[in-house]
Amino acid sequence: MRRRSVGQGLRLGVVTGILVIWVFPIVWALVTSFKDRRDIFTIPPVLLFTPTLDNYILALTTRPILAHLRDSLIIAGLTTALALLLGVPGGYAFARLRFPLSRPLAFLLLALRMVPLLGFILPLFLLLTWLRWTDTYQGLVLANLSVTLVAATWLMITYFQDLPHELEEAAAVDGASRWQTFLWVMLPQARGGVAVTAVLTFVAVWNEFFFAVVLSGSRVRPITVGMYGFLQFDESLWGPLMATAVMAMGPLVLVTLLAQRHLVRGLTLGAVK
Amino acid sequence: MGVSPVRVTGLTTHLLTRARRPRLAEAAFAGLLIGPDLVAILALSLFPLLALCALSFFSLDLASPHRTGWVGLENYRRLLNDGRFWHALQITALYTFSTVALQLALGLGLALLLFERFPGEAIVRTLVLLPMILAPVVVGLLWRTLLLTPRFGFVDYLFEVSGLGSRPWLSEPTYALVSVILMHTWQWTPFAFLVFLASLHALPTEPLEAAKIDCQSWWQELWYILLPLLRPAIALVAIFRTVTALNAFDAIYAATGGGPGTATEILNLYVFYVAFVHLSVGYGASLGVVQLLLALGITALLFRFLRSEVA
Repeated sequence: MRRRSVGQGLRLGVVTGILVIWVFPIVWALVTSFKDRRDIFTIPPVLLFTPTLDNYILALTTRPILAHLRDSLIIAGLTTALALLLGVPGGYAFARLRFPLSRPLAFLLLALRMVPLLGFILPLFLLLTWLRWTDTYQGLVLANLSVTLVAATWLMITYFQDLPHELEEAAAVDGASRWQTFLWVMLPQARGGVAVTAVLTFVAVWNEFFFAVVLSGSRVRPITVGMYGFLQFDESLWGPLMATAVMAMGPLVLVTLLAQRHLVRGLTLGAVK
Repeated sequence: MGVSPVRVTGLTTHLLTRARRPRLAEAAFAGLLIGPDLVAILALSLFPLLALCALSFFSLDLASPHRTGWVGLENYRRLLNDGRFWHALQITALYTFSTVALQLALGLGLALLLFERFPGEAIVRTLVLLPMILAPVVVGLLWRTLLLTPRFGFVDYLFEVSGLGSRPWLSEPTYALVSVILMHTWQWTPFAFLVFLASLHALPTEPLEAAKIDCQSWWQELWYILLPLLRPAIALVAIFRTVTALNAFDAIYAATGGGPGTATEILNLYVFYVAFVHLSVGYGASLGVVQLLLALGITALLFRFLRSEVA
């Protein structure tokens, strides 16, 4: 009995510790985005203050935040669409069909999944420069696809592999063709996996910074580069920076909170079911 | 929930099962579905890697184009005598090893402490996902400003209040390295925690019940029963965390830019400066090849470990 209550106290402490360490900094950033400059630089930090939208207004009026968000939306949206269009059928074939070279190809996919982004960026930079595609949407979409397509295909393999084999057998008994089996039997069953793959691909591209900083310029500039630019102006623009971060990350955070049950498995790359 | 939630990911199972003889019609259909995907992957992922290797044998200086040409192993010879490269390699090794070790230890420790189900568990599991969803560049900027700024940052404020005094978190070499390691650990420990928690919950109950009777202490139970059962999960977390650590760039670039001096300059940052600031693309490519071999070598080792677990 005693041991039990000690255990419960310990667990409560651990849970509080986890929340303070991992959640507080994010809440603090959110709170800061509503503070005026004086409140941000008050010591000791103030918890009670008059909230203001000045930081949001300042960010939106002095910097092209909306244009950055639009660029990120276009790049992440197009990359996600292409990754699904190519990766879903590919993932299905890898997971459920027999074809020559499937094992070496699967091995190649596995190896490519482990390659750091750095490996792709130099040649792609030269290629896109040669095509005059730096600082364009198509350039950034292709670059982002180099990493996300492998990941999306991989993720779809894990989802298709989980479907019971009876599905295909039943479809075959009913006289369905291979196309019909894929499109009308298997794909609907894997739609949860498709949704998770879409969200994770979108988030990965939305958050991407390395490609963006190398390949973007004055015309196309994703929000991650836009945020980085803030402090180059003025080291103390914390309020507008946090306001921008909230606008950029807020939608992702909301989606995570709503769909967390499905996302955990995808975020851990199929490691947790 | 399946029998074992931590499973070898799809591809590995694929590699471990024996292939049956494909039939022609099925293979043709598979080719149709997989063709576009494969062509795109070969063009956008494999081709750049081969091009990277080829580039590393050329002198290609965008700042002085007249020197462009085949130089054989010259870039690699230069690399061997490049002190800044060796330094970056050291920092990369230190950064990768310490972040992965910290995440494994913290993730496993927290999961063990919260092994038994508790009220509010679902909420905690959701909230700890949040750091992982943030853009690493945002994490870098957040720590650089709100948390680690001397005097006004919250972490520094806590140090001052508790009598430990203000610290030069990002402006002194050793502190800066520790800070960027902690930043990375902060962002990705939830991954380890969630995977370990899920695998603990999915362990078969009989050996654990038996262990409760047989084992004399909690440590024995941990060492002889729990850790062996968790080995596949540990290997899997180590693989993914290593890949992420070797990909690190954004957060460090945003927080310190590799500085002060070169104190936090991991290989990725050094290559960035060589190739995209000084525009020595050929030399940058040879550094990129080193990073590539490093990543593939380490993950191959970890996969061997995982495979020996599965077999």
